[in-house]
Amino acid sequence: MISVTNLSKTYEVKRRDNFWTFHKEKIHAVKNVSMRIEKGEIIGLLGINGAGKTTTIKMLTTLLEPTAGSYSFDGIDAVEYPQKVKKEINMIAGGERMLYWRLSAYENLWYYGQLYGIQNTVLKERIQSLLQMVGLWEKANLPVESYSKGMKQRLQIARGLINNPNYVFMDEPTIGLDAVITSELHQQVKELARKQEKGILLTSHYLAEVEELCDYIYLLSNGEMLIEGTKKELTDYVFTRKQCAFSVKGMDKQVEEKLFAALREYDTEGEISEMDKGVLVTSERELTAFLADFALREGYVIQELYQKEPSLEDAIMKLSKEAKQ
Amino acid sequence: MITFFKVVWGEAIKQHRNYFHSKTIYISLFVWPLLSFVTAYYGYLPFEIETAKIGYLNGENILIYLLLGYMCMSFFRSLVQSAWNFSFERQSGTLEYIYLSPGNRFAVLLGNALSSVLESMIVMLVFGIFLMFLHKEVLRMQLGTCMVVFCLMMLMAVGWGVFLNACFLFSRDTDFLFTILEEPMEIFAGVKVPVILFPGWAKIISLIFPLTYALEAVRETVLNEASFYELKGFFFISMMILVLLFGGTLITIQIVEKHMRKTGNASLF
Ligand SMILES: Nc1ncnc2c1ncn2[C@@H]1O[C@H](COP(=O)(O)OP(=O)(O)O)[C@@H](O)[C@H]1O
Ligand SMILES: [Mg+2]
Repeated sequence: MISVTNLSKTYEVKRRDNFWTFHKEKIHAVKNVSMRIEKGEIIGLLGINGAGKTTTIKMLTTLLEPTAGSYSFDGIDAVEYPQKVKKEINMIAGGERMLYWRLSAYENLWYYGQLYGIQNTVLKERIQSLLQMVGLWEKANLPVESYSKGMKQRLQIARGLINNPNYVFMDEPTIGLDAVITSELHQQVKELARKQEKGILLTSHYLAEVEELCDYIYLLSNGEMLIEGTKKELTDYVFTRKQCAFSVKGMDKQVEEKLFAALREYDTEGEISEMDKGVLVTSERELTAFLADFALREGYVIQELYQKEPSLEDAIMKLSKEAKQ
Repeated sequence: MITFFKVVWGEAIKQHRNYFHSKTIYISLFVWPLLSFVTAYYGYLPFEIETAKIGYLNGENILIYLLLGYMCMSFFRSLVQSAWNFSFERQSGTLEYIYLSPGNRFAVLLGNALSSVLESMIVMLVFGIFLMFLHKEVLRMQLGTCMVVFCLMMLMAVGWGVFLNACFLFSRDTDFLFTILEEPMEIFAGVKVPVILFPGWAKIISLIFPLTYALEAVRETVLNEASFYELKGFFFISMMILVLLFGGTLITIQIVEKHMRKTGNASLF
């Protein structure tokens, strides 16, 4: 289990005033972040650009030393003994860099395998099975520069698994990929966690991605952890109110006014907003029975009536707005 | 220990495939030194060689004297180029993955330098030996001493390469390092004009380059029958240089990694 407590990183950068003098400026990139990652779990770290996601990942992969806080890896103090942790982790970053373009996929993986000191026979088998897994085995001997974007990204995944790590850190792995490749990659991430029991931390600024993949989500804003929880917890936290989509045959302003009057009787705080088809009704109280009853009483034919799950996107928009105020 | 050599081997092979993938690289490694060598030789022809302060140098062996200079220089120069090339690993992000791995950092730099030395050596060595064979009447060498000196020179070249790799890793302005190391090495190490003819200030600069010492010893053994005993000064200095280069590299690696873990980038200056 990976567990970090109150992890912080402050960068010091030199800002030049003029040709001769400069002053130092502190950038608090990550402040007091605590989180846990277990094997077999996909953890999401969500935040806009500059929120501190990469900095967090780099501290967890031992590439950066935290300014403060503790990081324990299966009971080992990872700040003190980064070398012990390196064997058990790996990182997959988005984008096409970080590979040797003149080398083939096989040669790239072989090289990284040497860096991890993997035995030749084991390495050979592993390279084959990884390249088969990401569907590059047929093109294993072609230089990477001849690969498409999606193929390079898949090779990145294979590279990130070369040492058979227990934990994999993915920094915006789908950045710049089209929808088809993205969903392919999502499938692979799920398999890594579900079938191979790997602990995965995935950063993203796409809500839909985190919503689809992650068991547990941390929301980072300006280096601070704004909120954390499962997808359901996060949405429940923000939306205590229920929402129903509702429409009937021949719906017009008159019907809407009638509905509004009935709703006010049922719940004084209730709201109605227009949707492209019908209306969206919001209330503290249960709505489906109420709306069905309303239609029955007034003799309308129901076209649509369903409880709307609030999306994580709505939840986060709302949270960020509240944080600003 | 096995893992150490695995990393050395892995890096050497990678460097070979990544850098020496195209045959054009041999132009800068071989054709260029060859041209400089030829122009230097014809530049010397009109002058009276015998008046030079080097006793054994004369009109007959000046060709081999210069050949040895350009041969040795091409080994050392290829390392400046490959170190410069290595610094691009920082831009391409692959350096980060090297740091992410537990692989020994020194082994990476060593594998890289070894590969460059061996690679650049082959062509020039074959050419050099061929030319020396054609002019074997001017050679005055003891084969044993010659081999030892040659091996020491290779070791120094590798040490030089490892050290340069470390320096290029943490310098933001690698172009600057490249220009101050590449051309001046040819001028000041006595490749073309013997160091002994330099003015005092230039002699001092020449002391910076390990190539200066290696070159002197190689010429002495091949053209002047220098014995082990006569070269004892060189053996001592080359040992010192090796300790300095490898020690300096180990320290530099430590500093760079510490700096990188603190600031998130490798450049120290
Ligand atoms: N090496 C660095 N030196 C100085 N400041 C940095 C460095 N890396 C990131 N930062 C700053 O830290 C903040 C967080 O950046 P980052 O972790 O890259 O965010 P994200 O990955 O969420 O976009 C930003 O303000 C960024 O400018
Ligand atoms: Mg980032």
